[in-house]
Amino acid sequence: MGQTAPARAQERIRVVATTTDLRSLTEAVGGDVVDAVSLVPANFDAEEYQPKPQDVLRLKDARLVVRVGLDYDLWFDRLLEAAAARELGRGGPGYVDAAYGIAPLEVRGVTVGPGDGHAHGSGNPHYWLDPGNAEFITANIMEGLARIDPANAKTFETNRQAFLARLSAKLTEWEARLAPLRGMPLIAYHNSWPYFARRFRLDFADFLEIKPGVPSTPSHLAGIIETMRTRGVRIVVREPHEPERDVAFVGAKTGASVVVLAASVGALPGTDNYLALFDTDVAALVQAAAR
Amino acid sequence: MTEALGFLWPSFVVAVCLVGIHAYFGIQVLARNVIFVDLALAQIAALGATVAFMLGHPAQSLATYGYSLTFTLLAAVLLAFTRAWASRVPQEALIGVIYVVAAAASILLIDQAPQGAEHLKQILTGNILTSGLGEVTVIVPLYLAVALVHFLLRHRLTKSGSLFWEFVFYATFGMVVTSSVALAGVLLVFSFLIIPAAIGVMFASTLPRQLAIGWIAGILTSAAGFAASFAFDLPTGAAIVCAFGAALALAGLIYPFVRGNRLVALKITVNTVRWGVAALIAGSAIQLAVTSRADQPLLDMLEHAAPSLRNLYFTKAEAAAYQDANDYAERHRLAAEQLIELERRSRTQGEPLDEAAVQRISSFLKSYAEMRKGEQFVMSEVRARARERVGWIVSLGLLAAALLLAPLPWRRLWTRFSR
Repeated sequence: MGQTAPARAQERIRVVATTTDLRSLTEAVGGDVVDAVSLVPANFDAEEYQPKPQDVLRLKDARLVVRVGLDYDLWFDRLLEAAAARELGRGGPGYVDAAYGIAPLEVRGVTVGPGDGHAHGSGNPHYWLDPGNAEFITANIMEGLARIDPANAKTFETNRQAFLARLSAKLTEWEARLAPLRGMPLIAYHNSWPYFARRFRLDFADFLEIKPGVPSTPSHLAGIIETMRTRGVRIVVREPHEPERDVAFVGAKTGASVVVLAASVGALPGTDNYLALFDTDVAALVQAAAR
Repeated sequence: MTEALGFLWPSFVVAVCLVGIHAYFGIQVLARNVIFVDLALAQIAALGATVAFMLGHPAQSLATYGYSLTFTLLAAVLLAFTRAWASRVPQEALIGVIYVVAAAASILLIDQAPQGAEHLKQILTGNILTSGLGEVTVIVPLYLAVALVHFLLRHRLTKSGSLFWEFVFYATFGMVVTSSVALAGVLLVFSFLIIPAAIGVMFASTLPRQLAIGWIAGILTSAAGFAASFAFDLPTGAAIVCAFGAALALAGLIYPFVRGNRLVALKITVNTVRWGVAALIAGSAIQLAVTSRADQPLLDMLEHAAPSLRNLYFTKAEAAAYQDANDYAERHRLAAEQLIELERRSRTQGEPLDEAAVQRISSFLKSYAEMRKGEQFVMSEVRARARERVGWIVSLGLLAAALLLAPLPWRRLWTRFSR
């Protein structure tokens, strides 16, 4: 018995997060105590991810899972079923829905995912792009970790506070750097940015994609070009995995410059953690606005 | 409106260029019976571009194009050989294998890249709406060069010949497809390739005539697709593909009138339509009788087109309940949209909303969504009950209508029974 205790202390808690963003935040809270992996590779469209056999194995070793929720990673429910780990399932001690407590924006319908008793709206799922929401996300992760490993609850709390302090300092810096872009109209390919826009007071005037996967129609495209001309839009935003042509087309028509922004950790070089993600995006936007 | 027309015409010019070269290759492809070869070649080109990407070359660089071309040429060698192997296994099967293996290999490669899924997608999903005159200046010289080669070597290339000439055919075809798929996407290029050619082959037997018919049909159909996309505000590529499908169906309908006895063809057509419509009506009659609560595609479509049809079988109370629920659902939707707009505006205008206000808006939105779902449930329930009530009578009426419409020899049956 005396020998197993130190061995256990060294064994790190295996956490499986669906996205790289949640993995980064889990690492921020768990520190050395956790060993976090993410399933969707950076820059894959997480909404269209197809789990691999290895993912089931990853879940077998895991003691905690962290998901985005809000119908963003629906495939995760089937994966959890396949892994048949009851502890990790909905309502189990090893299950964290990172969206808990977050106010979803642009709720238009009712969730299509498996229900768990109370009504969920299916709002815009890109809530991690508001750094302010990291407070909720890390709280959810911390709670989950403390359930699994109560002995380290203090460590998680300390880690989280330290991270939030760094984030808060960074947030002030980002807000100051983006202040010149306040109210400046932008166009994006996909509606990934409402939370980001709310935090930094940006105005995403329209989106090239009508619905996910449906390309623009002629009059929609004409409407966007019209909006861009009348409102003087100078920046078109696309994510690395979105079609280059369509964005370049409206850019060329109106003289606006195209900015590639990462919506997830690791989607662009230099975005390997949650803070670096915003550093990179803020720098790209500021540079484009100065052009 | 004029803005949309302003960028529709350059993409129409692109479509005309694509029809021009693809109708010709389509006739060759149909003659060789290698229908899906364009998909295989496009996928191979994508694999080449993926390899270039993995080696660190940027997407639109010369090196990437070189890799694409090399892979396409290798595939051309492979395709030329498949003709020799095709005595036992159909060539089309081997083409299918090339396609799936190339597609799967690119997925495996992309899986290794930290950032790359976007890459594969962009090679295979062009968007004709955002293509323009800049692209025309690239593809026209290429297509003219390919056309010139094929014209000069027409005696060698229009028939399947030795290994070398097969290779030249697939290599030139590969160059064309690689560029066109990136412009217009796989679906559209396949339609440009096969459908004008099929229409041409249907109505003529010499290559020049087939080409002329294919070109005219292809250009008119593209124009119709663009017009539909503009008039009904539809995604352009998908609208053109559907227009091509309709064109082929129309050609199939016209074919018997041109090629056979016109009167017989007319009679067969009318009878086919009557049988078809009668079967459709009888089918919905049976479905209504058996499962009156299930979806009724035909009735739902009619009701959608003319909502007043509901008054025929709704009682006054049902009509009122239905209308009420409909009004409330719409009111909830509008209220939700207003809240969303309010929140959206607050991001940039005036004082920002605090967390509590956003939280409150969010829970209101959830409630509106729930309530709207509830109203929609009421609507479908009212309608299902009304249909249950009148199901048998309506289905008997529909059956009678179907019998009357079906081209049964009523007069002969009548004289036999009345005797």
